[in-house]
Amino acid sequence: MRSLLNFLLRYKTLIIFLILEAVALVMISSSHNYHQSVAFGAARSISGFVAKRIEAGHSYFSLRQVNKELVAENLQLRRLIEKLEAVQKPGLASVSDSAYGIRYNYLNARVINNSVNKQKNFITLDRGSRNGVTTGMGVASSTGVVGVIVGVSRNYSVAMSLLNTDFKLSASIARNDYFGSLAWDGRNYRYAQLSEIPHHVAVTEGDTIVTSGFSAIFPPGLMVGTLTGDLKKGGDFVTLKVLLSADFKNLTDVYLIGSLTRLEKEALEEEVKNE
Amino acid sequence: MSRTLYYIIAFAALIILQLLIFNNIQFSGYVNPYVYVMFILILPMAIPTWILLLLSFMTGFVIDVFSGTMGVHTFATVMAGFARPWVISLNVTSEISEPEMSPSSHTSGLRWFFIYTVTVVFIHHLSLFFVEVFSFSNFFHTVLRVLLSTAVTTFFIVLFDIIRPRR
Repeated sequence: MRSLLNFLLRYKTLIIFLILEAVALVMISSSHNYHQSVAFGAARSISGFVAKRIEAGHSYFSLRQVNKELVAENLQLRRLIEKLEAVQKPGLASVSDSAYGIRYNYLNARVINNSVNKQKNFITLDRGSRNGVTTGMGVASSTGVVGVIVGVSRNYSVAMSLLNTDFKLSASIARNDYFGSLAWDGRNYRYAQLSEIPHHVAVTEGDTIVTSGFSAIFPPGLMVGTLTGDLKKGGDFVTLKVLLSADFKNLTDVYLIGSLTRLEKEALEEEVKNE
Repeated sequence: MSRTLYYIIAFAALIILQLLIFNNIQFSGYVNPYVYVMFILILPMAIPTWILLLLSFMTGFVIDVFSGTMGVHTFATVMAGFARPWVISLNVTSEISEPEMSPSSHTSGLRWFFIYTVTVVFIHHLSLFFVEVFSFSNFFHTVLRVLLSTAVTTFFIVLFDIIRPRR
């Protein structure tokens, strides 16, 4: 007993060091599914509160750019309305078919904390469960896909950024509908990699990459980016370099996209798989 | 000014500087200065190691909470705190006569303070970036980030040390 005490006293620095590092490692490993951890909910509220104040000051510097993007988007939406009206005009005004129903609803949100310099980047938004945000909602800016909601508290939510090495997105080439998996390699925040594209598919620089809609988090056809050079060939598949259309360095206003039919789709797929 | 008050103010100032200014420096993902480590560096020469470790833990934890990186900074800062007494013992100078003294370029010389800072900051950044990535793939990419960030962090800490008020 006495020698044990002596031992502990002699190595007390080392023991304290090891205990503290062990605590830190437990914190790191539990943060991988941290949207489930309630313990940090309070901490997130505090840091969200602080980040919101900082963001309030920052946002004034990017108003001009934001306005420009919104005008461009309005223009695009106006054109879309024109097109739809042209289709609907000839007496088809009241179609009550669920196939024409609303599949996605949208919610606007403001980015109050963001980073591009880590390997696992997250984005904090000023909307929470109070506003109807749930985990699994998609996040997009007016220029392109941004991320997916992974954590929600009452007033805030946290999205896993596309610039997170854990993030995977099903994306396709708009011109010919070949789909692959889009991920970020952790290097340059302007570029992501689209893999699993078959060898024989003809691609050219500047091809548009959009969401495939397979995961039902994002509607199909949402802008992701454009192809740039640098093909990496390996076996039957090629990996393409994609210039992301959303500029993660000055994200301010984003949309949250909630699929109304995602759960139904997933339940059906699960059911078939289990048979 | 009492010693405790001095350190409380230094702690608050460094945390605020880190969160408001240095966390927003994102130079193409390669340079991420973490100047809050300076708090661990300027604690008194003869501080008991267990207090040093607990303060390191607290500092890292506060940064973690506010930047949403649970545990990563805590791990790295405790590592830096553990390395500090060893780094001091590696290049002791005869000038260290006062145990209460805070390590500084004013008392121990710019050269000594620079070597001391660069070593502890390197240990901190090395563990920080590797724990953050959690893999040895892209090894040289991570090493480059460590080296560049260490250089910038060291520059700012030495600068702050020169201009900080002496008690």
